[in-house]
Amino acid sequence: MAGQSNPDLSVFSAPEVEFLAEDEMVEIVPNIRMEALNMICGDFGPFFPQIASKVPLWLAVALKKRGKCTIRTPEWMSVERLTQVLEAERESPREFQPLPFHYVEISRLLFDRAHDDIPDLYMVRSLIEDIRDVRFHKVETGLETISGRTHAVKLKNLSAMEVNIVRPFMVRALQAFYRHDSPQMIQQPRTMGSRQPQVVDRGPRRDLRPR
Amino acid sequence: MKARSVRLREAHKGSGSASHCSILWDLDGRHLVTASASDPSVSIHDVSQPSKPAKVLQHHRDGVTALALNANSSSLATGSIDHSVKLYSFPDGEFQSNVTRFTLPIRSLAFNKSASLLAAAGDDDGIKLIATLDSSISKVLKGHKGSVTGLAFDPTNEFLASVDAFGTVIYWELSSGKAVHTLKAIAPNCDAETSLLNVVSWSPDGETLAVPGLRNDVVMYDRDTAEKLFTLKGDHERPVCFLSWSPNGKYIATSALDKQVLIWDVDLRQDIERQKFDERICCLSWKPNGNALAVIDVMGKFGSWEPAVPSCMKSPTDGAPSLQAKNANGLFSFDEDDEKPSTSGSLDDAIEESHGESAPLSRKRLRKHSVYDDNSTEDSDGEEGLMCQIESRKRSSIKCQEGVRGAKEECVSSSKCAKSKMQEAFQPGSTPAQTGKRRFLAYNMLGSITTIENEGYSHIEVDFHDTGRGPRVSSMTDYFGFTMASLNENGSVFANPCKGEKNMSTLMYRPFSSWASNSEWSMRLEGEEVKVVALGTGWVAAVTSFNFLRIFTEGGLQRHVLCLNGPVVTALGFNNLLAVVTHASDCLPSGDQMLEVKVFDISEGTQPVGCHLPLTPCSYLTWFGFSEEGQLSAYDSKGVLRVFSNQYGGSWLPVFSASKARKSEDENYWIVGLNASKLFCIICKSPESFPSVMPKPVLTLLSLSFPLASSDLGADDLENEFIMSNLHLSQIQKKIEEFSAAGLNTTELDDEAFNTEAAIDRCILRLIANCCNSDKLVRATELVKLLSLEKSVKGAIKLVTALKLPMLAERFNSILEERLFNESKGTAAAPSLATNGTITNNTLLLRASPAPEITKVVETASASSSPTLPQSHFSMQEKVEKASNMVGGMEPCKDPDGENEKIVFNPMKFHQPINPFAKQSNDQEKAQERRRRDVETCKDASKGNPKEGVDQVLPKVTSGGISNDGSSQRQSHRPVNPFAKASSNHEKSSLLDSIKKMKKADHEKNEKVNNKKARS
Repeated sequence: MAGQSNPDLSVFSAPEVEFLAEDEMVEIVPNIRMEALNMICGDFGPFFPQIASKVPLWLAVALKKRGKCTIRTPEWMSVERLTQVLEAERESPREFQPLPFHYVEISRLLFDRAHDDIPDLYMVRSLIEDIRDVRFHKVETGLETISGRTHAVKLKNLSAMEVNIVRPFMVRALQAFYRHDSPQMIQQPRTMGSRQPQVVDRGPRRDLRPR
Repeated sequence: MKARSVRLREAHKGSGSASHCSILWDLDGRHLVTASASDPSVSIHDVSQPSKPAKVLQHHRDGVTALALNANSSSLATGSIDHSVKLYSFPDGEFQSNVTRFTLPIRSLAFNKSASLLAAAGDDDGIKLIATLDSSISKVLKGHKGSVTGLAFDPTNEFLASVDAFGTVIYWELSSGKAVHTLKAIAPNCDAETSLLNVVSWSPDGETLAVPGLRNDVVMYDRDTAEKLFTLKGDHERPVCFLSWSPNGKYIATSALDKQVLIWDVDLRQDIERQKFDERICCLSWKPNGNALAVIDVMGKFGSWEPAVPSCMKSPTDGAPSLQAKNANGLFSFDEDDEKPSTSGSLDDAIEESHGESAPLSRKRLRKHSVYDDNSTEDSDGEEGLMCQIESRKRSSIKCQEGVRGAKEECVSSSKCAKSKMQEAFQPGSTPAQTGKRRFLAYNMLGSITTIENEGYSHIEVDFHDTGRGPRVSSMTDYFGFTMASLNENGSVFANPCKGEKNMSTLMYRPFSSWASNSEWSMRLEGEEVKVVALGTGWVAAVTSFNFLRIFTEGGLQRHVLCLNGPVVTALGFNNLLAVVTHASDCLPSGDQMLEVKVFDISEGTQPVGCHLPLTPCSYLTWFGFSEEGQLSAYDSKGVLRVFSNQYGGSWLPVFSASKARKSEDENYWIVGLNASKLFCIICKSPESFPSVMPKPVLTLLSLSFPLASSDLGADDLENEFIMSNLHLSQIQKKIEEFSAAGLNTTELDDEAFNTEAAIDRCILRLIANCCNSDKLVRATELVKLLSLEKSVKGAIKLVTALKLPMLAERFNSILEERLFNESKGTAAAPSLATNGTITNNTLLLRASPAPEITKVVETASASSSPTLPQSHFSMQEKVEKASNMVGGMEPCKDPDGENEKIVFNPMKFHQPINPFAKQSNDQEKAQERRRRDVETCKDASKGNPKEGVDQVLPKVTSGGISNDGSSQRQSHRPVNPFAKASSNHEKSSLLDSIKKMKKADHEKNEKVNNKKARS
């Protein structure tokens, strides 16, 4: 898919999306005793050794980096669950399975930073990659159906990374359709009503984007 | 036939491939003995204490293929691939002798009923009959072509049946040592697979021999004629590989290569129950005294199928021939037993397809078996089966009279003690040994000690949970084989049980850090065995098999040796306290353990607590320890946690019940520790009842709760909180007493007690609200009497007024009056009345407080927001202003209209009656204390109702809201008359509420300091 290979086409870069994902909460098991941390985004802790507590992913990763905790794999990241999800993804070609919005980023972060805390690492990793591929494939095939008549595309349960990649492409594709069809499109909506101005608005704004 | 799963747990770590494993119950059903052909060790599992490590006998050099117990379970014989047969005493597993040696692996062993003979056979040519008395070989029975895989003595001690790998069964006559019947190839040929062994089994009455058949069935052969009687054919899809008769002979359990285990009703010849397993079950054993079937699979995993026979049916032990009946000494013989043509059996077998036809034949030959054969011919109905049983029992009772007296007595005595057993000593926080796996010797809130055995010696590691703080301790190679350990901040103590004469019980102490080098020490105990170790600050304690409590100093000095009242169960140290649990007496017949606990204060040399330790009926102690606050706590196998409290002169309170807390069925809680309100435990998924070392277990917090009856009030949480807080309060008060007796500073504890009291009051107020809502007025009145702070009582009055219960308000009022009267009589000297004293003080101070300042303050509060206000320069002042501005921000009070809004707004708020009052009463108090401190702030002014001050200010305040507020507040401080003006109270309190909420956070910061001042 075009958007996947070319980062310029995305609204956010992948690291930016990852940054956003770092606010997701995960469970950690600290191995030290520590007072509560009072952060701008909230208070976390106090921490007691071997007692699980919930912190944002960025904090978990920071603690993990210093060897102060182990990160507990989120429940959806078990081999069992992922296998189910993968099967379901494969079975239903038109629907996406509910996964955490940031599943790609979270799993990526955990694989990079906390690979020793994930049971069946290899299996989990390949499952997540499979799921990702299946879903992207689905998105791609879904995009093929876009035509000049498409006004909107509804994608439920799409994750952040997927949305990020799909959005610019989709918008541009629709724009292109609109532009090519513009004589008709302008004619029709004028008779029909209020939808047209938005389309017109959207066109020029997009053109400002350096390409 | 509904499927219930039998949970299996690992007993032997196999090589990963299938190998023959064996399992046996002992006579009284308390122990299970397991062995595996791929593991040289034999394990004796205590069934009553699954968490206890299995006793492991390691005398063989190669896999153990055969096990046998004699009839009264006093000795255990094992046969191994290493060609030897060994004898152990049972159940202690003491090695006794090498009975015999073969030149090839042993495959099967059997004791006769009187245990005078042991038959052993294997790949060697010939079955050896060994006299157990002197281990002499009395006979060698030769005749099998292949390796002998199954042996069975007939219960009347006349025959021995044997089967070899080619499926040939031979009946041997014991008296002559001759083969009386040879049945060729009637059992499956299992020569190809070593893990598969053919078996034979006599029915308990000795009338039939069950042999796996060639058509995935079980074939029954007659005792005397060796004729085929009938077959049990059903749902096995592959050949049967093991079978076992139930103790009464009514049922038979079979296991087949299709990984199924079936239970058959022998009389009906029908399978009544089945179970599918993941692996092939290679051995089965019926519990001699219960409806349970022990199974072990080829991977060395065993479990107990309970109840094996559906409870609606007759128990497998019901009507079992009494043990004495079979305790014959090999002298019995029946008149018709001898001289059967040995070929007839096999011939018949070859010809006959249907077992029914065999009956007339056998009847011709045998008078004696007519009843039984009849039965088998006419697809017996229940009655006839019963008849048959009665018959056989009659016979056996006759035999019994001829039986050996001595053996009889022995059996009686052994069955008597079989009922219940005193729990063995354990170390709190330890897990049982598992071969090839690391296990915990000690696990507590601080850290853990783990060990793994490796080729004769162990590796011990000490880890602290808090890697940031705990000392780093190097791992240790342990040549002693330590099985007990304890750990605290300063050091660890280890001990091993004694294993024979050479290996004495040793106690070793390892400090984690010491200024002197080589400060580790060890003690050897001759003839004595350490049972439990404990560790405290500056001392080490060991309780031994002589019921001695030995106390050492940290440096290794032997300080005290005390005698304990009974065998020790467990012991634990906490600072200078040592708690020891011992058996007070033998168990009750119902199986209840009788335990008592003693607490020693090592530094003082006193014994502050000595009492019985209650347990749930039929349970045993699984964990014992101190809470973080130093309260004794005990957890039993039924999942009830008890905490010792000083209420009622020392009693145990149940504060947690696993059965109530459990979210799903397959959770087991393994307790690690507790504090005042939370329980720390490790959740184990069944069938595991204890955690494994890897992955590192994570502690889970569970809240404590009393097992309260479900009340009509529907406020179980509140009631629970109420009792729990009261428990805390009593604990704190006890501590205060102790501290003040010791002349220590109790300020902190006083604060804590005060906070707890306040918490209790809050809880009570909520309970009162609940009571009022559900119309339990008497209960509400009782609750009011329990309130400890006067303000709370006032709050309660306001509450009931708001709830439109004037009658109750009246009552509360009279309670309050009575209380004030008592207090004034008792004067402020009484510590419990301290609050009253505070109030009077406050009033005085208030009067003295400078009026102008209050004026200012009120101005700010009413948000006149004039920047020119001359502020006094208390450090608090600025902050306070901010706070008041915040008030302004929230409630529009920039102009006089704001005040009106407030008044309109607040009565609405007021209708959430429960919490605000509790808070308010608190806040008022805080405010007064604050004033005493003379940090005069506008918060105080606006909320704390400066009595006289507000009066002076009143004229300046234009808004009716504030004036109302002030005056009503004033009234509330004169508790006798104010309730006529309930309506003004409403407004006041609501207004105050909103302001107070804003400032509560700030208050809490100061609260502690204030309290201290107030108290000191």
